Amino acid sequence: MFRSLAEQIANSNLSLILQNTSWVVPLTQSIHIVALSVLFASVLMISLQLLGVGARSRSVSQVAGTLLPWMWRALLVLLLTGMLQAFIEPVRQFITPIFWFKMLLVASLALLTLWFSHTLRANVAAWDAPATRPAVAKLFAVVSIIGWSTVIVFGRFIAYVWADYL
Amino acid sequence: MATPEFILALQDSALAVFIRGESAGGEWAFPIVETVHVMALAVVYGSIAMVDLRMLGITWRDVRLSKLADEVLPWTWIAFLIAAFSGSLMFIAKGDIYWNNLETRLKFLCMALAGVNMAIYQFGMHRRVSEWDLRLPPPRAVRLAGALSITLWTGVVFFGRWIGFTTQ
Repeated sequence: MFRSLAEQIANSNLSLILQNTSWVVPLTQSIHIVALSVLFASVLMISLQLLGVGARSRSVSQVAGTLLPWMWRALLVLLLTGMLQAFIEPVRQFITPIFWFKMLLVASLALLTLWFSHTLRANVAAWDAPATRPAVAKLFAVVSIIGWSTVIVFGRFIAYVWADYL
Repeated sequence: MATPEFILALQDSALAVFIRGESAGGEWAFPIVETVHVMALAVVYGSIAMVDLRMLGITWRDVRLSKLADEVLPWTWIAFLIAAFSGSLMFIAKGDIYWNNLETRLKFLCMALAGVNMAIYQFGMHRRVSEWDLRLPPPRAVRLAGALSITLWTGVVFFGRWIGFTTQ
């Protein structure tokens, strides 16, 4: 099912044009890497602050307030460049289960971050003081670091794992 | 420019053979090293970008530049060492090809220029950082250093990705 869909996309006129323009794929991948760097560094900085390893002079709400907008912007760029890559090389992406695991993970982590953003905004005072910060804050931080790291690993391995059983 | 002898010798080492995936158990060596490199470069680029954007007065406006740099840059250096180490492992696997590759040279040129830019800032404006630390927008020379830095590091990432397409 995925293979026939992928082949249909790959054989469309626009996809064929882009496949034959040598600089398009490296360019979209480069932008993808720049955006993932912004996202990953933001995730680490917010998470370290939640774990109490970050700067003592800054509060969680200050760090998250500065970096969450950058995370969402980066995620938007990642989605656009990722969709373009899937459109140009659909077979390579769709037949690998790793691609679908990655998509599932990205969606879950984005929802989790949305939850964090809303919970934080509703309880700024409690989250800013280490003494009253809910225990779930540390769990969120650890899940974020491991989750987004896994997304990067999966992303790189899409290029290598060609398990054609989808 | 002829490839230096030591690069050719390294390319024949057991380690290089292993990373190329030509010896037993090495099938996944290159992808794994590459993945480590991507994660490390993400921290390098992301953390430098944060400081650069502060130098441009775009973000972290309520935080002193010197303070942000002191907190963030140690992580940058740790990640840079990991990126340099994993990058060297990939380099020795195909040293001859990378040495003669235009994108590899441009990548190192960008990195060298980024280093020069950083040194000029460090020994120039940064020595009097407390005088302008909270001024917004930051002094013109600081904004220029920030703009150059993010441009050159973006060049490093772009040429780095291009290497993968021009050395196959």
